[in-house]
This record gives sequence, C-alpha cells and structure tokens, in this order.
Amino acid sequence: MSNATLRTWVAASAATAIAITAAHAQVGWSPLDRTNQAKSNQNTGLKPHPTPVTVTPVEKIPVDKLTLPAGFKAEIWSHGHPGGRTMVRGDKGTIFMGTRGPGRVYAVTDRNGKREVKVLMQGLTQPNGLAFRNGSLYVFAIHQVFRYDNIEDKLDNPGPPVDLTKAYNLPDTVHHNWKYVAFGPDGKMYVQVGANCNVCEINPGIHGQIRRYNADGTGMEIVARGVRNTVGFDWHPQTGELWFTDQGRDWAGNDGPQDELNRIPRNQEGAFYGFPYCHANGTPDPDIRRPNPCSGVMMPAALTGPHSAGLGITFYTGNMFPAAYRNVAFIARRGSWNREQKFGYDVVIARTAGARAVIQPFMGGLLDTKANEFHGRPTYLLQMSDGSMLVSDEQNGATYRISYSAPRTAKR
Amino acid sequence: MVRPIASPIQPPARRSGSLRWAFDWWSQPLALGLAAVAFFVSDSIAQPLPLAERIKLCATCHGEDGNSRVPNIPSLAGQPEFFLVNQLFLFREGVRKLEAMAPLVKDLKDDDLVAIAKHFAALVAKPSEEPIDPALAKRGAALAEPLRCASCHLPNLAGQAQMPRLAKQRIDYLIHAMREFRDNKRSGADTLMSNVMIDVSDADIAALAHYSASR
Repeated sequence: MSNATLRTWVAASAATAIAITAAHAQVGWSPLDRTNQAKSNQNTGLKPHPTPVTVTPVEKIPVDKLTLPAGFKAEIWSHGHPGGRTMVRGDKGTIFMGTRGPGRVYAVTDRNGKREVKVLMQGLTQPNGLAFRNGSLYVFAIHQVFRYDNIEDKLDNPGPPVDLTKAYNLPDTVHHNWKYVAFGPDGKMYVQVGANCNVCEINPGIHGQIRRYNADGTGMEIVARGVRNTVGFDWHPQTGELWFTDQGRDWAGNDGPQDELNRIPRNQEGAFYGFPYCHANGTPDPDIRRPNPCSGVMMPAALTGPHSAGLGITFYTGNMFPAAYRNVAFIARRGSWNREQKFGYDVVIARTAGARAVIQPFMGGLLDTKANEFHGRPTYLLQMSDGSMLVSDEQNGATYRISYSAPRTAKR
Repeated sequence: MVRPIASPIQPPARRSGSLRWAFDWWSQPLALGLAAVAFFVSDSIAQPLPLAERIKLCATCHGEDGNSRVPNIPSLAGQPEFFLVNQLFLFREGVRKLEAMAPLVKDLKDDDLVAIAKHFAALVAKPSEEPIDPALAKRGAALAEPLRCASCHLPNLAGQAQMPRLAKQRIDYLIHAMREFRDNKRSGADTLMSNVMIDVSDADIAALAHYSASR
C-alpha cells in the first residue's frame, strides 16, 4: 500500500467513524430526520388534523361562514367528494379532482345546473397530481403516472391507462411527495418532488425539486432546487414566469419559519431555494447547520405566514372580477397544524410586481380564532370559463364558487 | 394497481376463486379459520350481511372482545373510531391492499364502516398473551422519545382521531406494521409514518413494539 493510498484509506476510515458517531449522538427525529422537537419549545401534542373520508352532509358545509370583499359571493358548487383537493378542467367542462388519503380521483360534471360527482378511480396512493391536455387526463400518484386518453368520453368506464411511470422515473418515497403537476406555457409537464422529511439532508439529485418533462416523461430538467414542499404553482400571465408556494418546516417554533411564495426568474431555471439550510427571508435552520447557510439562495417574493400551508395558487385572468384582480395570484391556505394558535384556513391574494409580492386577505371565515377551531380547509383554486373561481375545501369534500357582481350604490 | 371504476362505486374484480389467490393464502402465516371466513364471504356474498353478522365475521380473527389472539392480526378494541373508519375505507377502496380484508369489506357502505368502527372503538383493549421483555420495553421507551411517538399517539399511546392505539396491541402485529411503513409497503395509509420509520432497524422496531404493547 503506497503512502498516498494509505492516507486516503485512513482519512476515509476516520470520516466514516465520525459519521457513525455523529449518527448515534444526534437528537433528531429518526436516523434521517434532524427535527429537534424539544428545542422548538412548542406544545409537543401538536399533530396533523384528521381529514374525513366520509361525506359531509350538505347542511354542515360552512358556506355561510365565508367572508369576502364587497360584491363577491360564495355558494356551494359541488359536494359529496370527500378529500377532494386539486382541480383541473377538461375541454368538455368536466372538473377532475385529486385526493390524498382517500386515493380517489373524482369527476364532477355539470348537468343542467346540477353537479354530478363520480368516483372515476380509486385505490391509488395519494393521487394529488392531475393535469389535462389534448383530451387526456394525467394522474400522478406519488411515483406512478397514468394517462387516460379521451377521458371525457369514457367517464363511466375509463378503461386501462397508458402507464408512464417508468418514463417519469419519480422516487417512490411518499412523504411530501403527493404530487402537484401542471403543464407550463412551454407545453412541458412541471412536477413537484418534495423533501422526504420535515428537515434532513436530502439527496439533492432526487428530492426538493421542481422538474419539467416532455409530456411522455422524457427530457427531464430540474427547474428549482432546495424546495421543501411546493404543492402549487402557476405561471404569471404577463411575464410567463413560474410562481410557486412552498411550505416551511415544522418544529422550529410557532411563528416560523414562514411559508414562502417564490418565483423562478426568467433564465434562472435550476436556482436554489435554500432547503434544508436556509428558510423564509434568510432564517438559518436551527437543526442543520452549515457556514453561510443563505449564500446563493433565491429569496422568496413574499412570506405567506407561519405554518399556514399555502397550497394552490392561480393567477386570475378572467373578466368577472374587478380589474384590480387581473393578473393577481389567489392562494389557498389549508391552515396550520404545527402551531398552537391556528393560522390560515383562508384564501389570500398576492399582488406581484417584478420580484416581489404583497399578500392581502380575500376569503376568510373558516377559522374561529377565539375558540382556536377551524371549519374548513381551502386547498386549490380553479378559474371557470365565466370568470368565477372555484375553491376546494378538502375538509368538507366541497367546492365553493366565488362570483362577483358590482354592489349597488343607488340610495334608497 | 390503479382500478378505473364507474359510478356508483363498484367492487373491483376479485380473483377470489382462482388458485393463485388460494396459494397466496396458504403462504401466509394466518389462521385457517380466517381463510375459511374469507372464502365463505367471497364466494357467498350476493347480498350484504346484516351488521351483527358482519361484526361476528370480524371477531373470528380480531377477537370477540376485539382483542386478537391470532398472531399478526391486530386488536381493534379501544381503537379510535376515526382511525377504524379510515382503515376500513382504505381496505374497501384498495388503497391498503390486503387479500384477507378485501372480500370482507368490498360491499360495505360508508354507514357500515362507521357502525363497525363504533362497535370496536367502544370495546376495552386488553394485553395479548405474548410475553413482554422488560429490557426491550425499556429500550423502546428511550427510542420512542426522539421518534416523537407520543406527539400523535399520546403519551399513554392510546391513540387519537386518525392515529391508532399502540398500547396493548399485539407485539407481532406492531412489528409487522412498523416494518411495512419502513419498507414503503403501507404508503397509502399515512406518509408521516413512512418518514418516521426510515432506516429504523429491526432490533429497534422490536424494542418499540415491546414498549408499545406494555403501555
């Protein structure tokens, strides 16, 4: 053994020994996850809220509690689809809804002003990712990818799908990997691949990304890195830039790090957004340290609140709402679990200007701050062809239609 | 596999009569009685059974008092109602794929799921006949701390809402379930548990199981 080889071998052994010692000495949550719950000083009894898999009776859907700016109105548009979250519309008007726990994909059709809800698929693992193009419905269930051609002609019997799972080659780790997907203006399929932990050293070649593919699953490119868990994105109608929500880590305090609204500037695809070292507006992670944790990190366009769980984001391009809402982003905040005083459970708007955005309230009423209880959980948004906006409420298995008509100013 | 279905919900095509299904059965360490029940149900259910009959079928394996005496079969007594509804739903819809459960739940309506869940939630959990190793249980208690089991399952591990009771559960079943989460074989039920169990060794899982059962 040469001296050089020996030195390398000794160094490698020492490094291994240190790594093993470190692994045993750490106080993290699991061998992978570095969460230090005790250090957070949070109530250790905080836990994710349960989502019913059974139907919420229509009279218990809290539409009457919703509050909106003057002139806006909310009504129940559909119900009876437990766990319904993501929404995409087919060319013939079918609204497809994805779920997490229930494993279903729903099809909601409008027949003479009445909505019919079908369970289109079941038994999938967290089929949150839906996209529609050229008559085909794409369903992403963690790593599985299925394409149903001419789906709107076959709602009673979709038949076997084209299986694109191999082509997309997504990781089968489930945590933070219920997919969000959408076709971009470039015709590519954009796909979320979240961090498979609360906070950990992810494999940056696999997790914490937004990717884009050709529709058939070829030509993968990474368009954002260091993204903990985005479950919503949309493209700015004027700039064509991708804006995405990202959920901050848990167990680092009730007040943060806050969730983020991010933007991928033109020609900066592949930018790094900080996970796991740097959160929010430059907050170093308390449990995973490295020198200069925020150097080279793309800062968010806006913070969207502590543990608020900003999910769906949709830029408004319709004509029904007042002109002040044109090209404004609507963001559904599902609401906190890892926070003693609950927060979110609403829809906010983001007025964007260049690299920045300002967050303002829009739809509230689902959070009772006094009782610290919530009545519903807004998850995604869908702009309808008449310019109204659908908001899905996962907790109640319902959608609300938000419409606008100018308030009458005439005096009585 | 994905199962496209039409509305209203239809039971999936089962290969209940096939030899392959039977062989799957015998290869698993399960009680003969359970297999017999499953065959009876899958072959004879044309119309739904009355609820009391249905619960009797559950009891064949899960115990009349909801406390299982069959290896690898979980106790249901004292489980949170929400948890039981969830799991019955996941079995019915095929998110949790278990040949033993599929024919038993395929024709249940949501109301049936709730009624069965209420029945077992109201029963009293009792420890199984398996011996608990005090040294292992002690080690499990120490392991449970950083894994934060108590956050969701409560300090007494009685469970709450969608989180199951672990206290007094069968040791062999707890080991089986934790391994399934770790090995990504129970991915549909809950993603958080898949994350918690990443890289946890078999030895640590055994310790956690003895600790949980001892609570």
